[in-house]
Amino acid sequence: MSWHTQYVVDQAPLLQIDGLTKRYGSVTALDGLNIEVPRGRIGLVGANGAGKTTTFRLLLGLAHPSEGRIEVCGVNVADDPIDVRSRLGYMPEHDCLPLDQSAADVVATFGELSGLPARAARQRASDILDLVGLDEARFRPISGFSTGMRQRTKLAQALVGDPELVLLDEPTAGLDPLGREEMLALIARLGTFGISVVMATHLLDDVQQVCDYVVMIDAGRLVEAGPTDSLLERTGLVTVDVGHRFDELLAGLARVSLAAVVTDGVVDVAMNAEADLDTLRDVIADLGLPLYRLSTRLTSLDEVFLRRAGVQA
Amino acid sequence: MNATHGSLGAVYDRGYRPYEGVRGGRRAATFALYKATLRRALGLRRSWRQKVAPFVLLGIATIPAIVNVGIGYVTRNEIFSDRIEIITYREYVGVSSMLLLFVALVAPDVICPDRRQRVLPLMFARPLTGVDYVGAKFGAITTILFFFSFLPQVVLFVGSMLVSDSSFEYLTDHLDVIWKVTLAVAALSIYYAVIGLAIAATTDRRIVAGAAVIGLFLVTSITSAILVGDEEHYNDGSPAALINVLALPLQIRDLIFLGHIDPESSLSAVSNGGLYATGVYVAVLLLAAAVLLRRYRWVER
Repeated sequence: MSWHTQYVVDQAPLLQIDGLTKRYGSVTALDGLNIEVPRGRIGLVGANGAGKTTTFRLLLGLAHPSEGRIEVCGVNVADDPIDVRSRLGYMPEHDCLPLDQSAADVVATFGELSGLPARAARQRASDILDLVGLDEARFRPISGFSTGMRQRTKLAQALVGDPELVLLDEPTAGLDPLGREEMLALIARLGTFGISVVMATHLLDDVQQVCDYVVMIDAGRLVEAGPTDSLLERTGLVTVDVGHRFDELLAGLARVSLAAVVTDGVVDVAMNAEADLDTLRDVIADLGLPLYRLSTRLTSLDEVFLRRAGVQA
Repeated sequence: MNATHGSLGAVYDRGYRPYEGVRGGRRAATFALYKATLRRALGLRRSWRQKVAPFVLLGIATIPAIVNVGIGYVTRNEIFSDRIEIITYREYVGVSSMLLLFVALVAPDVICPDRRQRVLPLMFARPLTGVDYVGAKFGAITTILFFFSFLPQVVLFVGSMLVSDSSFEYLTDHLDVIWKVTLAVAALSIYYAVIGLAIAATTDRRIVAGAAVIGLFLVTSITSAILVGDEEHYNDGSPAALINVLALPLQIRDLIFLGHIDPESSLSAVSNGGLYATGVYVAVLLLAAAVLLRRYRWVER
């Protein structure tokens, strides 16, 4: 690859998808997708069967589009699927690890399969397993691992080849709340390592927590794509967290005619004018309440998805 | 490096280091899979139980060579018109057909778990194609079969040379053995490897695949024996002998060592028997290879 081609590839969007359609017999899994996705942490969201896994297979060059074209990191998948795969890491949703081998052996082998020399692969396997929190368990057979440890091992094998982009298919599936938080924290860190992420999930909370760009698909069609912040709309509510003393706050707000409701331990206050914010501040100060959080309440991605998918239908 | 200090010590976050060294492509990935398959088949980096079968089989396959050389050594000062030889190089290739057991054990072990444990998507997310995968698995099993068949022959050759009256004379007299053994053992190894892998590729279950490998060879050899007929007609020979897929590489061996089908073979009286044997051998190889490649065709779809 010449320096000019390399420069073009480096500056290219993460994904450039034009008119992508995939049919399996009479079933259309993807229907004319057009998206340009920047580098970063991308959430690919949709209900089960929306076409997320099919999209991953097409990105990896493991399936051919019925129509359309895909570029990953500036490389046309149809022209050079091997080059594309050498830039990617992939973490499938399903169980996919050889159970009779240790995590160190598995990750090192996949490092070698990614093109790393044997010694470098073993060294990187050790480093990456350390990074994902499996340093002490790395010589144990995977058959004895918990779901969370297996998910970490799957993430480690995706990272061992130092990819430009990792495709994560439902990375928090089957994890308990603590395991989920840890996995999301790990994924959030990948961006700081210069690794782009495409995370396919139907859990919009996960995307909202980790991703800076969202692609929503439903029944194989694009519903919405854009930066996460731009998709979240203001609701006209302000969320106030005053600990457990929300009864006092509700009474104070009623005295100044501000409508409020308690939701999940916080108070949502309706704002009709800019001056209402000052009024709210004064009520809290006058009552001497502790103020832990004061933020504009935005719509959740769930609400955005349901509304826009509903409009399309 | 960041460090978080607590009363009991410090937790270091070593962060992430990008890899900036050399990186191979398809060829490196295929070679890596070849090495991983070799390790798995030989039980390396696995429990001792996984190492028993391959190395016991290698030991058993080497016993005739050791016995032959031992007899040669013990009788080295005796005066015989001819040296006592309990096994010839040609016959020894036949002993290697016991490695069929190894194939029945190992071919499913290197193929079936990848499908059953759904490891294939991880492999094919690498710079690796279905053909590369098949090539690496086939190469690894063929390599092991070749060396497990070839090493005992080396023991026999070197041992016989050392206990002979004149090592140099033995070497010059038996130079043709080197290429004949190499070729015959390669024909046997390739044949068993590709058939074993093709059968293993059709199922996710190791035990089913192993039984199918043994079953194929047993059923075809029994069927062939029945069709060839009783001993009275045996000398006439029959093309039905070609059905015996177990014996086909041995017919090829005879063509390599003798230049013709063994007169004691049930194919000996069949005109152009050698040609038919070669044709069927190649056809079986191609069929097995086609089955194997077809199973991994989905990777490119």
